[in-house]
Amino acid sequence: MAAIEVRSLKKTYGETTAVADVSFDVGEGEIFGILGPNGAGKTTTVECVSGLRTPDSGAVRVLGLDPGRDREELRQVLGVQLQESRLPAKIQVREALELYASFYREPADIDSLLTQWDLADKAKARFGKLSGGQKQRLAVALAVVGNPRVVVLDELTTGLDPHARRIAWEMVEQVRADGVTVLLVTHFMEEAERLCDRVAIIDAGRVVAVDTPAGLAARGPAAGQRMRFRPSEPVDEAALLALPEVRSVERHGAYLDVTGDSEVIGAVTAYLARRQIIAAELRVEQSSLDDAFIALTSHPGDAAHAAHAAPVGHAAPAAHVTEESR
Amino acid sequence: MTTATTATAAAVSRLLPEFRMTGNGFRTLVRTQARLLRREPAIVLSGVVLPVALIVVFGFVPSFGKPAASLGGKTTLDVYVPTFAMLSSVLTALTALPVTFADLRERGVLRRLAVSPVPAAGLLAAQVTVLATAAAATAASVVLIGVAGFGASLPAHPLLMLASYLLGTTALLSIGLVISALAPSAGVATGFGVPAMIVNFFFAGVYVPLQSLPHLLRTVSGFVPYGAIVDTWSGTGAPWQHLTVLAAYTVVGALAAARAFKWE
Repeated sequence: MAAIEVRSLKKTYGETTAVADVSFDVGEGEIFGILGPNGAGKTTTVECVSGLRTPDSGAVRVLGLDPGRDREELRQVLGVQLQESRLPAKIQVREALELYASFYREPADIDSLLTQWDLADKAKARFGKLSGGQKQRLAVALAVVGNPRVVVLDELTTGLDPHARRIAWEMVEQVRADGVTVLLVTHFMEEAERLCDRVAIIDAGRVVAVDTPAGLAARGPAAGQRMRFRPSEPVDEAALLALPEVRSVERHGAYLDVTGDSEVIGAVTAYLARRQIIAAELRVEQSSLDDAFIALTSHPGDAAHAAHAAPVGHAAPAAHVTEESR
Repeated sequence: MTTATTATAAAVSRLLPEFRMTGNGFRTLVRTQARLLRREPAIVLSGVVLPVALIVVFGFVPSFGKPAASLGGKTTLDVYVPTFAMLSSVLTALTALPVTFADLRERGVLRRLAVSPVPAAGLLAAQVTVLATAAAATAASVVLIGVAGFGASLPAHPLLMLASYLLGTTALLSIGLVISALAPSAGVATGFGVPAMIVNFFFAGVYVPLQSLPHLLRTVSGFVPYGAIVDTWSGTGAPWQHLTVLAAYTVVGALAAARAFKWE
């Protein structure tokens, strides 16, 4: 039996369709990622899974339970960390854990939770005085305080600094190590790549792809390799683009970004070597989930999105030599 | 017959709010809410310290201890002991309770609780337990200080007085609960709670003596909680009618609040 089943989920708020058609299955013990741009319907989807929203149509089952009908049973087996949810500013860490633990039939031990989530020093600290990372650690500790079998984590690491984010990732892996199924909402590719067994990419309320992170990266139209370097002398970009292995060439100031198939690195370095041009500061990247994500979620004709979709698109005055402009 | 009974049972269970939680959960919730209340000086000050301070101040005014013909031979203090005893209930029920809940809702605290096993009715009941206990302790202190400290006389019908105090408090709390269940923010809760409080004060004769109100308004007064309480105390009203009204407020308000409770 799947830990979570979502079938043809639909949810609208007035005129706005938050979720148009979302279906996916999460296996027991899996870390399943939901990835998507802002406003794609990720949070609404997990709110329906958590029983916080009633879907307009479609079906949701968590361990065979219907979040609407079996609310009470679901609450006992599902732990949730939500965005925009807080604790009273003046509650102490231990008080919060004891309070939430008391709601469950078989709660976890508070002292071990405090130790496991590195909150033992903060047991007497008030929630309002905690740092962002400490608050998130407490949020995860609260999500698992009832010894749940499934945990939903919604944008766990948003707003955390890189160090705290890495600690949060270790926490998620710890949760899974205890045999808990994890549904993880994120908009960080790195996070999905590092943690998730499988990922569903949601865009405009629909699932556009479900696969392993590696599988998604390989299937994006941008699959292949990317290199960036500073040529020692001006390079004829059109000639570079004419190489069969090269797919696109973009100039960003003194740097050139070249993408292409798996042979592109060899082809470009050979071309440069023949002209005795040195590729300084050479960086090579495998096409990533990032590329697949952008390819899968870019909307044709959407100018803002197109700008976002341009690879390494932060250098505005760049000379674009792409297939379209040729 | 059996079908009818089942149908009635189903109808009743639909009407009654879900209230299933662990006993430990309810006790821990009460304990936690009591702790959090103690950490809010503004609520403690207005709901507990103010009524007690007022009775002490009034007790030290010499003329308030002398029987006045205009009060039917009672002293000013005699009249104000029940008023101040009730004040804590009115303040906590119509301001502290709804503002606390609306604030928790506005800050997303209820959103987090919504995905835990705690039922709405349990949350409301725990908060009412805490606030009603504080209000009752305040009222008891006011009566004790007034009677034992400054020689105010006890009312003629102490049991009726106690019944109307208890039902009056629960009736006011139920109105507060309905606001608590729905108000999206502390501002909105204040916007409903304070006018409700003023209406209650008005019909209790706090601003204008009830005797000087037109007949219609005096009749209405019997259907406003604080008015019904004061009229029961006056000894001239229809106590059973008033107690019924207060009980009706309590039952309807509490059920409606638990049913309509919004988590965010």
